Amino acid sequence: MTGIMPLDDVRVLDLSRYTSGPFCTRVLGDYGADVIKVEQPGTGDPARALPPFYEDEPGLERSGLFLFLNTNKRSVTLDLKTERGREIALQLAASSQVVIENFAPGTLDRLGLGFDALREVNPAIVLTSISNFGQTGPYRDWQGTDLTLLAMGNMQGYGDPDYEPLKTAGHHATYYPGYVAALATSMGLMSAEFTGEGEHLDISIFETHTHSVDGRLGRLLAYQHNGRLVGRAGMAGAIGSGIFPCADGYFGLNAGAGLVQRMIRMVGREDLLEHPDWSTVAELSRAERAIEFQGILIPWLLERTKEEVRSECERFGVLGGPLNTIDDLFQDQNFQAREFFQEIDHPTTGPVQYPGFHAVLHRDEPMPERQRAPLLGEHTDEVLAELGVEPGEVEALRASGVV
Amino acid sequence: MTSPSSGNGRLPLEGIRIVDFTVVWAGPYGTMQLADWGAEIIRVESVHHFAPQTRGLIARPPDEFAENSANQGGGYPDDLLGDRPWNRGPYFNNHGRNKRSVTLHLGTPEGQAALDRLIENSDGLIENNLPPNIEKQGITWERVSAVNPQMVMLRVPAFGLEGPYRGYRTWGNHMEALLGHPVLRSYPQLSLDYAPMAVPSDAASGIGGALAFVMGLRQRRKTGEGLMIEAATAENFVPFLGDFIMDYSMNGRVHERLGNTHPTMAPHNVYPCWGTDRWIAIAVRSEDEWARLCKVMHQLHLEDDPRFATMESRHEHRDALDARIAEWTAIKDAYWVMERLQIEGVPAGVAMHERDALENRQLGARDFWRTISHPEAGTQRHVGPLWRTTGNNPGSARHAPRLGEDNEYVYKEVMGYSDEEYADFERAGHIGMDYDPSVA
Repeated sequence: MTGIMPLDDVRVLDLSRYTSGPFCTRVLGDYGADVIKVEQPGTGDPARALPPFYEDEPGLERSGLFLFLNTNKRSVTLDLKTERGREIALQLAASSQVVIENFAPGTLDRLGLGFDALREVNPAIVLTSISNFGQTGPYRDWQGTDLTLLAMGNMQGYGDPDYEPLKTAGHHATYYPGYVAALATSMGLMSAEFTGEGEHLDISIFETHTHSVDGRLGRLLAYQHNGRLVGRAGMAGAIGSGIFPCADGYFGLNAGAGLVQRMIRMVGREDLLEHPDWSTVAELSRAERAIEFQGILIPWLLERTKEEVRSECERFGVLGGPLNTIDDLFQDQNFQAREFFQEIDHPTTGPVQYPGFHAVLHRDEPMPERQRAPLLGEHTDEVLAELGVEPGEVEALRASGVV
Repeated sequence: MTSPSSGNGRLPLEGIRIVDFTVVWAGPYGTMQLADWGAEIIRVESVHHFAPQTRGLIARPPDEFAENSANQGGGYPDDLLGDRPWNRGPYFNNHGRNKRSVTLHLGTPEGQAALDRLIENSDGLIENNLPPNIEKQGITWERVSAVNPQMVMLRVPAFGLEGPYRGYRTWGNHMEALLGHPVLRSYPQLSLDYAPMAVPSDAASGIGGALAFVMGLRQRRKTGEGLMIEAATAENFVPFLGDFIMDYSMNGRVHERLGNTHPTMAPHNVYPCWGTDRWIAIAVRSEDEWARLCKVMHQLHLEDDPRFATMESRHEHRDALDARIAEWTAIKDAYWVMERLQIEGVPAGVAMHERDALENRQLGARDFWRTISHPEAGTQRHVGPLWRTTGNNPGSARHAPRLGEDNEYVYKEVMGYSDEEYADFERAGHIGMDYDPSVA
């Protein structure tokens, strides 16, 4: 028994493709929703054609990106451009509480599956749309990718002041708006369940990055306070702050005048704290003091491995962390002890490790096991049968390419 | 779509009261979303303790701090700290909007009794502190559920409530370094001491925490019982590296220093434009987009260069390609390049700085900004709610609470103390709008 899950009474009709929408429905699936993923017959979600591939060989059932994004979903192939395909989608919407899509704005309306059409068959439906710039406005139809949308959002603050701005790794820039979409959907559901009326939620990828707490939010106010652009000034100027070499790699540290005392103790120089040059916030805020301290800190770091430094940081309450690679992460003692990574079997790859849950419900029953990503159209017969479509018709639809 | 500022109906979380022990950025960003959409968030603070990096880096910074950049703990209005710097910092005054602040000294029996009253009269409690520290203050599921079994409690530790790193204190950037993100995204051409120590995992933690809390509310409705949810910031963020996790677990491959490169696309980078620190991001997904980019950059005749004939060969020669494109962009206005390429349907975006965002016509047309006046920090435009709905959207926002601003309301109306009892709390040093002089 896995027990009740927050969304186990919710069906999600997932019309989304690529990364942002599938990340959203993956999370809703983790919380127990029945996610029905509609894919184009033959080719499926275009993410099936994106790397990394198992053994580096492309194939519909070999994309690690797709496998990661589509756990806990049922795959139904359906050509939404056909009349019967559209009817079946509307039937699915009638028995769902949520529809998620990330087509270019206007596409859903053109398919005859826009909010008004959905509301006609299901007045309480929550439709969540994720798009580059939102469903309205002068940029509505502009093109975007992870790189260009993050650039417009908050990339200007990421990186070194003497070099170009840096994007976040991989597909973070579209996963994140997908995560926002999951939050929006959860609130839309709360409202729809209270009022009995559905809602259309509009998530703009550009806006989610403009909103981000890290790169943007405080700096937008600070600019209005003092008229200065922050650019890529990091925290590295402050005393005891920056990325420094250690015995087996690099280690990131932060202190500043308010917290450096602990770091001074960590490196065994508590004697300095008695000295007037090192005992006031004003003195410790001076740039030359920060440089002087590096001369003490770096030799100490070079005698210790990342894990030794990390462990000392923990002991002294110093803020810092090792610059790891993904293989370090897999071997990390904390992630191992918590059994974070999950092994999921799949006909192509066999059992491989996936990232675990974002959040865990604390209770006696364990979290439900994740189901592997579906093969293309794996659940077409099952889902159409649930809708009451006769097996004979399913065969005919298959022959004519509708499913 | 309806204009967001037009709506003033019932918001999804109206009637939900949350006790908020969040600190720094990630936790407060999560409760900001809940507050934006109608929850009553009561921040529990103390005049005897300053939570670092929440209402500024330290309570009473030296004057020169005011001019530091926002991420170095500065960015104060008019470069002045004012009498109460803790009410003037740019981060708190943004994510604190729509929340309330009460001061309470948990190190006393009457402070703990007051917290019990607050828990009795609330639906949820959210915290993102170092687990041993917050537990020492009596904030545990055992206590919270004993006082109010209907509570939804969300805990957001860095690495986990249990496990070897339970007591390992970090900021988001160190946590993210341990997960491998800075090494993945670092500059291909530079040593790792140039790795970006930025913290997208904080925003992700805020969103994940808010989502987990709403899920908890729905779970409570279904089961009739409260519950505790744990959303460790580190575990919340690892899935954002999902494709790298899969490449490692499927193929044993370890990526590093990818910068702005893409596994297949070229061009795919940011290019310098006319002016100081101005950049344009350009990404080409297909041969068709390449042809249209070449049309705009016709002076370069790149379409005739066999090295750039296919996506694969462009990717192979991407350094040479980037250098040619950069020659072209360097003498051009970033906005001209963006508008010109977007007309052709080529993905291009200016790396926008603060003023760009505030003046952006898309954000303006979508009514993105909210003007908020703060009694000690003046009037500014803030980012609006994170999404729009055809249902009820948040209307105007209340300014971030000054320390202890809502003491009377919370003690009397929420906890139900009388005027006399409130006066007792005042005499005992719980109530105040200034940190105790002993607080640094």
